[in-house]
Amino acid sequence: MKIRDRSGRGFDIIKGILLTILSLLCVLPFIVIVSGSFTSNQEIIRNGFSLLPRGFTAEAYGTIFKTPEDILQAYKMNFYYTFIGTALGLIIITLTAYVISRKEFKYRNKVSFLIYFTTIFGGGMIPWYLMYANVLNLRGTTLAIWFPALITPFLVILMRTFIVGAVPDAVVESAKIDGAGHWRIFWRIVLPVLGPGLATVGLFQALGYWNDWYRSSMFSTSSKTWSLQFYLYDLVNSTQAMRQMAQYADINTADLPTQSVKLAMSVVATGPILILYPFVQRYFVSGITVGAVKG
Amino acid sequence: MNVAAIGKGNPACRQSVTRHRNIYIAAAASALLLLMLLPMVHWIFLNETEALFDVMKLKASAVKKLSGSYSVFTFLSFVQDSKQGVLGLWSFILLMIAAASAAFHLWGLGLFFLRKKAAGGKGMLPMYSRIQSGMLFSLLLSAGTLGLILFANNHYGMAGFRAGAPVYASAAVSVIGYLASKRMEKDERTLRREHGFLEEVRRNWILFLFLVPCFVFFLINNYLPMAGIYFAFTQFNFRDSLFASPFVGFKNFEFLLHSEILHLTTNTILYNLVFIVVGNVLQIFFAILISQVANKYLKKTSQTMIFMPYFVSYVILRVLVFNVFEYDVGLFNNFMTSIGSPKVDFYNTPSYWPWIITVFYLWKNIGYGMVVYLATITGISSDYYEAAQIDGANIWQQIRYITVPLLKPTFIILLLYALGGIMKGQFELFYQLVGNNGTLFSTTDIFDTYVYRITTTQPLSMGLGTAAGLFQSLFGFIVIILTNFLIKRKNPEYALF
Repeated sequence: MKIRDRSGRGFDIIKGILLTILSLLCVLPFIVIVSGSFTSNQEIIRNGFSLLPRGFTAEAYGTIFKTPEDILQAYKMNFYYTFIGTALGLIIITLTAYVISRKEFKYRNKVSFLIYFTTIFGGGMIPWYLMYANVLNLRGTTLAIWFPALITPFLVILMRTFIVGAVPDAVVESAKIDGAGHWRIFWRIVLPVLGPGLATVGLFQALGYWNDWYRSSMFSTSSKTWSLQFYLYDLVNSTQAMRQMAQYADINTADLPTQSVKLAMSVVATGPILILYPFVQRYFVSGITVGAVKG
Repeated sequence: MNVAAIGKGNPACRQSVTRHRNIYIAAAASALLLLMLLPMVHWIFLNETEALFDVMKLKASAVKKLSGSYSVFTFLSFVQDSKQGVLGLWSFILLMIAAASAAFHLWGLGLFFLRKKAAGGKGMLPMYSRIQSGMLFSLLLSAGTLGLILFANNHYGMAGFRAGAPVYASAAVSVIGYLASKRMEKDERTLRREHGFLEEVRRNWILFLFLVPCFVFFLINNYLPMAGIYFAFTQFNFRDSLFASPFVGFKNFEFLLHSEILHLTTNTILYNLVFIVVGNVLQIFFAILISQVANKYLKKTSQTMIFMPYFVSYVILRVLVFNVFEYDVGLFNNFMTSIGSPKVDFYNTPSYWPWIITVFYLWKNIGYGMVVYLATITGISSDYYEAAQIDGANIWQQIRYITVPLLKPTFIILLLYALGGIMKGQFELFYQLVGNNGTLFSTTDIFDTYVYRITTTQPLSMGLGTAAGLFQSLFGFIVIILTNFLIKRKNPEYALF
């Protein structure tokens, strides 16, 4: 007994130290970004980054919101895509997951496999792009930006795991004996206990939409439909290219968005989704389990 | 009463003669349709060839290669030799349908010959379903061929193409085969107490209704674009536009084989292997570590903090990495200057990037996998640990002999999902960190970035891009099917599908 206790105590300290180190490594970049956004640009160039802002100033944020039209438009579009994609996607994912969780549904494994199959085989990026751009003619519309990500196969399978875990078969069976149909079972029995599942899948769905830049880059024809991340990407990309050229040629980099402005933009672009996280966290920290494709 | 019911309801006794006749009809129809798919059976004939080649503006040298009639399989060579890209997509889809029907017929016939000896669980039902699918595809093939001929004649404004007898024969045979098989299936269903598709729709129509949006989505987003694989066999040009660009056979693949494919494949697979191995080891390690921590506050905060990087978008990751590794003002080089060391030019030195990419991949993804493993650990009954403690097992032994073995199913599932995407790179990660910086491609180029780059910068290489994508897709598909098959044979519990 004694031996175990002693090794236990030593182990406790090591555990604590290791975990703390990893946790700090994970949040360090966040701190660097936030404090960098509150530092004046000259300070960054002269002394590099630091953990706490030296010479605290909010001028980078001032610069961003001096001409707020573009960023507000991108913000508006981002909220629009995230809201519609999450709401609609969540409904479709939950309905689908319910169907493939029902044991009495004869084709549940076939349907699951057909959904999973899309992740292991496909026409590739170009046929996918041509489908939306040339066949459906959706270039430049907002539909092309939110539609292609409505359902993620992995989230369907995750949601099915949640449903199977939350609603025992016996409950559904007895509801059926009492005369309830699938419609009623879904709305009255499954949905009310599916809180953690909806929160978790909803968060992943929202995260995917919030952080998307790819579809904006593919399907946008004007900056009016750009998502926030693509707006940021465009800004960063152009200044990065200029700065790299400035290494070799003599280009005046003074007018380019400064380091601190880019960092402030990053803070502004990440904010909302990070605020959502703590509210949802308690659900999924205990809840993400993965199941096989077959049910 | 029971006996009477069984005798009456069991058609196997009463209709055994018709049974056997129908089953042979179905099998014979299958075999016949397979024969008709052989390349020497010609489905499409050319009329008034001189006038037709005139409309097509063919040179004499090209005409020499052409013949008067084609099978479904050889029609694409006509498309290629006569440079009639317009007909390409359609005949490619016909070829796919032909392949599908051949596959189903072969499968059905295989079951027909094998099941003679042993009929298990569902009896002959799987055989009927394969044969019927084959019949439907055959019928579709005939209809599609007629459609192609109609389309072509319409396009050239003359009756240049004509359907041969096999087109109509194939349609007739497939209808007969389908009906015969359907008759048989009905009896078998009664016998096996199994219901068919229509009965399932009648019983669970609301479940089918629930699936409609999902069905529409995957049809548009994934299944219909699969026909676009065709573009891998074409050479896009602006004059002929997308749907009429010339069909070039395997030329794009040959080009890839001689230039990029080896390097892209090794890069993609090596990165993914490192991500999978190192990622899982670290995730399991930290999941066990967190589960062992008694202090609730530390437990919760560290979980929150480790998950946080998952929320950062790749665009912001790009800002971050650029700020750290940039030559002039980057954090790293600032530090090097301050300790009097020479600066490091990261953005011009490819050898650093595998490390940088791996580190940031891990930074972003450790939290997610860790939570998945942690959920499994939380689910392990404490009885095991208590029993082990009574037997005098120390903490290491408990982890080694209880926790780790019980994490195995989760690990295998995660591994299989990861292997399913072994040829898919983390496109956003690579593209955002490296961008279009050509200096770094030797160590950082993967399939996804390659395809994205050549299509966005060189519209004419669309065929090449599709070919690379198709190779990537097929390769990954084979890897996961094989792995899953092997695991299923060893232990069906662990199989993914």
